[in-house]
Amino acid sequence: MLEHRSALIELNKLKKYFPVKRGVNLKALEDVSLKIYEGEKFGVVGESGCGKSTLGRVILQLYRQTSGACVYHGKSIEEVAPKYIEKEIDNLLNYQKKADEYYKKAVELDKKIAEMDEKIEALSDHGTKQEVAKRRKITQERDKLSFQSKEYKKDASRQLREGSRTVGSLILSAKLPEIQRLYKQAYNATVRAGEYVKDYNKYHAEYSEMLTKGEKPAQDVMDKMREASENTKKCRDEALTCKAKALSMRRQDILPITERCLDEEYQHKLDRNYETGINLAKLTNKEMRSLRKDMQMIFQDPAASLDPRKTVGKAIEEVFEIHTDYGKEMRRECTMKLLEDVGLKREQYYSYPHQLSGGQKQRVGIARAIALNPKFVVLDESVSALDVSVQAQILQLLEDLKQRQHLTYFFITHNLGVVKHFCDRVMVMYLGGVCELAESKELFRKPLHPYTKSLLKAVPRPTVRENYEEETVLEGEVPSAINPPKGCTFHTRCSECMEICKKVKPTLQEVEPGRFVACHLYNK
Amino acid sequence: MAEKVLSVKNLITAFRIDKKEYPVLRDISFDIYENETVCMVGESGCGKSVTTLSIMGLLPENAVVQQGEIELCGEIISGKSQKELNKVRGSKMGMIFQEPMTSLNPLLTIGHQLTEGLIRHKGMSKKEAYATAVQYLELVGIANAESRMKQYPFQLSGGLRQRVMIAMVMSMQPKLLIADEPTTALDVTIQKQVLILLNKLKKTMNTGVLFITHDLGVVAEIADRVIVLYSGTKVEEGSAKQIFENNMHPYTQGLLAAVPNVDKDDFEIKAIPGTFPAITETIVGCRFHPRCPYATDRCRSEIPQAIEYEKGHFVACHKVEEENKC
Repeated sequence: MLEHRSALIELNKLKKYFPVKRGVNLKALEDVSLKIYEGEKFGVVGESGCGKSTLGRVILQLYRQTSGACVYHGKSIEEVAPKYIEKEIDNLLNYQKKADEYYKKAVELDKKIAEMDEKIEALSDHGTKQEVAKRRKITQERDKLSFQSKEYKKDASRQLREGSRTVGSLILSAKLPEIQRLYKQAYNATVRAGEYVKDYNKYHAEYSEMLTKGEKPAQDVMDKMREASENTKKCRDEALTCKAKALSMRRQDILPITERCLDEEYQHKLDRNYETGINLAKLTNKEMRSLRKDMQMIFQDPAASLDPRKTVGKAIEEVFEIHTDYGKEMRRECTMKLLEDVGLKREQYYSYPHQLSGGQKQRVGIARAIALNPKFVVLDESVSALDVSVQAQILQLLEDLKQRQHLTYFFITHNLGVVKHFCDRVMVMYLGGVCELAESKELFRKPLHPYTKSLLKAVPRPTVRENYEEETVLEGEVPSAINPPKGCTFHTRCSECMEICKKVKPTLQEVEPGRFVACHLYNK
Repeated sequence: MAEKVLSVKNLITAFRIDKKEYPVLRDISFDIYENETVCMVGESGCGKSVTTLSIMGLLPENAVVQQGEIELCGEIISGKSQKELNKVRGSKMGMIFQEPMTSLNPLLTIGHQLTEGLIRHKGMSKKEAYATAVQYLELVGIANAESRMKQYPFQLSGGLRQRVMIAMVMSMQPKLLIADEPTTALDVTIQKQVLILLNKLKKTMNTGVLFITHDLGVVAEIADRVIVLYSGTKVEEGSAKQIFENNMHPYTQGLLAAVPNVDKDDFEIKAIPGTFPAITETIVGCRFHPRCPYATDRCRSEIPQAIEYEKGHFVACHKVEEENKC
């Protein structure tokens, strides 16, 4: 069932190191790879310092990652046209040329190697001492060359792979200059479309402002709106035709850059590399800012995330001021509607944060986050500071909003009870790495990783038990992330630690469909 | 028969806001015996912390104890001056706070802070105090206690700091230990370590413990007796078993229904509707009636009295009273 859902966020080997001093890094995230699907409530649990908050912030690009990729699929490059794509398009020919050069070098080396092989054949190893020495020398040289040739080949395919991110298997085409031109044209059309969309939004804001004021909208504004939307469509169509034209050249006139190029399988593989999502790390700050409408965050402490000198209404309106062209009346109306949506009263537009209770403050925080109809919301311990009854109210509100606005949640918490009943899938983190990832029901029914097990055991339960003190507790504390233990990071506290755990770091493996665990106990 | 350590009778504490006094605690009475953990639960603002501060005599300046008697080990301490209280605080009753970092002095070593009270209250020499401090650090499960004595608070993790706080308080061998949300800032695994430690110390040292928390899970794990507070009134009191298995007050039931339980599979988190009343709000009758699903006219006019239904199980609710009449 999971396969049918489309991914919204895709992380690939994400790393985040915080420099402490020269040569010393705090390894907050180590190789995190995962997919977050559209419309799911994805939970992350772990002790403090395990990197769960860092992960949430890296996804939103509040921290820039050290390496790895964070791809957002909520908008396609056809809609946004980020600058890095233009650079990539300009670079296409370079990729092909370099791949060709590298491969030619490799081929030359291969020729030399073949010659050497013949020489080696000619010299028998039963010959004189001199002969044996000579033979050994040539063999060594040959090995060196063959290593180099392999590296060149790797470089060549790396270049092709980079290129295929933007154009798929078209990178192999002999008509690449033509394709590049078409892509460029499509890109420019998209940029123009983006500008028309901006115009449209501006006129639309004017139009709605008039409507909210109760005036009859002016004819010229409506005309301008229509014009802008027609122009947008024209540009979009142009971009689409260009791309379609380019794509029609697939599987034709393929340059035999490397030996695999003619292989259909390889071409398909390159096609799969084609990126439809947006690589967040490559965006400029300005581009990221426009994407922030789609990706929002709700913080833990509602009191600290609101300006004490601003009324609730002003605090929410600020969002519209920054991100939209709405006029005064429109902003006010939207804010009022939002207040009702999150279960506050219209009168509270004029209240100051100190006049609200913790739960109400958190509702304001939620209103700010959902104001622009985001697709993806990171909730960093958003209910942890609240009392249980209020916590339950906020969780209900979040659930309602999710249904109404088709949100995707990235829910960070240390409260396992909340995760169990609120989230669809849960990821357990320890010292910057992923221990276990599963559907939440499965995870709680049958935890696999020893860390998950001991976490679950430690959760206080609202039922009276006699044998509380005899239960085993997880000994010790989380080690420092500056110098994490070798091998499995959990081995220092693990009750089922084996020899291999101290040396080899376990990788995240799928043990059952949709169930991932990183532990040597489950390595077959 | 266990000895009574603390007895609070009809305590009313009020806060002065704009020259008017608003009661925060409305007639609270309870007892704590030796070797007993009493948990006080409730939402924030219900008066849990004000209760502890009233007992310790650490109320802020705008708060007044209007009425009530607090008795510690047979000695009435309410109404005493700060100077007299200084003799009792620390030696007879000790307190652990929520955030261990803010209650330890960052400029002084752990050793200095641990020995200070011993020298002052117990009249020990520096050497004796040092030895005792090390002994207590070992008791709370801190390895290499001697080297820890020379460290500063920032060098310790959250769990260790809380252990140091516990060692500091327990080394004075108080009769009463007040713990105000001591594990809220800790991770679950560390929390469990600390809770087990507190329980062990309570048994070996025969201390009475007043444990403040809003986490019902923690309550179930360590409490002998539970007091549920709502807006400054005691709505239910009983043994842990009575509260968790045979609770009667609608508020207690609502609180428990709101806790996401890890053990249950088909569980829907239910919220108590409405919001917690501000202390300045005047509510006639039962303080809980605006949020109570069973509220009747009687609840809106008459304040319910706490009635004992089983041994040690008090409930202040009209609905429970009427149901048990017939």
